[in-house]
Amino acid sequence: MDTLLVLPILIPLATAALTLIAARALRIQRALSFAGMASLLITGVVILLHVDEHGIAVAQAGGWAAPYGITLVADRLSALLVTAAGVVGLATTVFTGFSLDRRRERASFYPLLNVLLMGVCGSFLTGDLFNLYVCFEVMLMASFVLLTLGGTRAQLEGGLKYLILNLVSSAIFLTAGGLLYRAVGTLNMADIAEQVAAYPDTGLMDTLAMLFLVAFGLKAAMFPFFFWLPASYHTPPPVVSAVFAGLLSKVGVYALLRTFTMMFTGHLAFTHTVLAVLACATMIAGVLGAVAQMEIRRILSFQIVSSIGFLILGLALMSKIALAGAVFYLLHNIVVKTNLFFLAGVIEKLRGHGDLRRLGGLWRERPVLSVLFLVSALSLAGIPPLSGFWAKLVLLRAGLEGEWYWAIGIAVVVALLTLYSMTKIWALAFWKDAPPNEFAFTGRERDVREKSARRAMLPVVALTVVTVAIGFLAGPIFEMALATAEQLLDPSQYVTAVLGGVS
Amino acid sequence: MSIEHFAAWVVMPLLATALLLAFARVFTGPGLPDRVVALDFVGSLLVAMIGAAGVMTGSAVLLDVALILALVSFLATVAFARYMESRRQS
Amino acid sequence: MNQSSIVLGTAVRLMLPVLLVYSLFLLQRGHHAPGGGFVGGLVAAAAFSLVALSDGPGRARRILRVQPLRLMGLGLLVAAGSGVVGLIWGDAFLQGIWPKWAYLPVIGKIGTPFTFDVGVFMVVLGFALEVFFTLLEDE
Repeated sequence: MDTLLVLPILIPLATAALTLIAARALRIQRALSFAGMASLLITGVVILLHVDEHGIAVAQAGGWAAPYGITLVADRLSALLVTAAGVVGLATTVFTGFSLDRRRERASFYPLLNVLLMGVCGSFLTGDLFNLYVCFEVMLMASFVLLTLGGTRAQLEGGLKYLILNLVSSAIFLTAGGLLYRAVGTLNMADIAEQVAAYPDTGLMDTLAMLFLVAFGLKAAMFPFFFWLPASYHTPPPVVSAVFAGLLSKVGVYALLRTFTMMFTGHLAFTHTVLAVLACATMIAGVLGAVAQMEIRRILSFQIVSSIGFLILGLALMSKIALAGAVFYLLHNIVVKTNLFFLAGVIEKLRGHGDLRRLGGLWRERPVLSVLFLVSALSLAGIPPLSGFWAKLVLLRAGLEGEWYWAIGIAVVVALLTLYSMTKIWALAFWKDAPPNEFAFTGRERDVREKSARRAMLPVVALTVVTVAIGFLAGPIFEMALATAEQLLDPSQYVTAVLGGVS
Repeated sequence: MSIEHFAAWVVMPLLATALLLAFARVFTGPGLPDRVVALDFVGSLLVAMIGAAGVMTGSAVLLDVALILALVSFLATVAFARYMESRRQS
Repeated sequence: MNQSSIVLGTAVRLMLPVLLVYSLFLLQRGHHAPGGGFVGGLVAAAAFSLVALSDGPGRARRILRVQPLRLMGLGLLVAAGSGVVGLIWGDAFLQGIWPKWAYLPVIGKIGTPFTFDVGVFMVVLGFALEVFFTLLEDE
């Protein structure tokens, strides 16, 4: 059991170490990273099956009992997300090999990617607030270098905004953690959940909840702290944007889910109303940005923000079905967002840029690419029977049941605008004829790019299959999401699993 | 007056005053070399203060801290000197 | 690379072995007293950085013999491996294992917390030097 929970952290760590040692040999690095990500995926699935069967799994690293030691916990949510991280990591490794320029690929790309995955999986599995902070920092370091790898001017500019905002978030997180520790004397999340519930001064706890909301909201790109994300995510190579879009902002959402379903649940009328208002503002801000932009990856970046809003709305509604919807949406969004950024990468590979005004004619030239894009785009926009539809449907139903009509109204409008922004990409890049004076690659350069784009379609096809599968297997996956939501709504399961019922 | 008191009431205030003056030099400049020398001086003062703190608390471990700080501030000064040299040449 | 100062060069040649021994001392003392892999690695990195400043990064790389990035990788492996030892022969990941036979004169008992620190030492040394050398060579 212990072994199983340590593996999602240990595998990327070992892979990062081995790829660092094999710094000169690119092929070996690729093979190592591929093997590492594949085993991570398998581990994720095994943990998921184990948790599904035997309930929440706990490991105490270092051999010290909770709440003193380093606790690793896997409930359904963690297991699902580790699996999703494995999927994204694997697809990213393959896509990198086929699409990234050699100079960047050589410059420690694979070690960084693996360290990033280690931080992500660590955040999903840790049962300790301070270790969550450590994992955040690990992710921040790796992601900052990935973001600026290659060092173009735009990258450095975006990277600086990213770094500063994330450092602010870390500082607030650390402050909040310190204050919480002073108040309740523990950093173990299960222990915190118990102590906070029993703490007499609810005003202090509400304040701390808001501090954590700001810290994690910054990471997740929630309104009003979202502007750093669209300002930085479109600057690095597409493969980096893809893994950031798929995993990084989702870690913030995961932290919010944990915090506000387990630790701060004493004053729902206050905390979750704040969450709902911010969620709606996030959705609106994101989708309006997406509508206004004219570059594929900028549009997609703003859509990340609006989908974060959807996720937090699910959390704010705080009913079983709403949380299930949020979990479902999270899984769907991780896969689809990664895939859309891959597709943007392929387009940029073919045309050299992603500016909608200068693109066109892709439908005539590349029907397969167009169909793949259409599947992901419609899925994100929520067209049945694709995965996004079910996710949004469930969230809307939860809203109606909870009688949050104004939030539902906003969500519907935002969904329509998302569809509009997707249609814009479709109409301008695929449907309309290529502009007459469009710059085209010729000769050898063209051949190289064509070949690389063709190969890069492999992970795109794989992720599209996953997307379609999520859509068609919506029933069983939703069952899983419901079970996950049940676990989230009953934190005593988690607490008992970690502290063993003695406290 | 014991040595601990001497460190606390004589050495520390003197060092603190020197630190303030050194910082004033860092801010006023006027040139980069002045600032670098002032920063190096700040480093030396910090080393001395940690040493004095070691005397005050009677913990020898602080001397190691002082040693490492001295090393790092020396490294920083050398790096600065090199940077200025290369800038002057170009 | 401009000609270096004789004073600096001579001082560094004298200081390098002392600093390296000091860094190892810090590493060894780390388990029960202030010190440890992180500080030790930093001191060692400072020693090599001084060489790089006085005689150029090329010379520092030759003295180090191992590539900094590779050193980082090895360090990560050593640290992770020390954790796994606890997993296999103990009860939990990262559990401290102190085998009875593992005893060296001067250094003392050797256990997985110590080897973990050695890993940290290597990672810090490798990371700091990679950054420093790259900056110097960029000039």
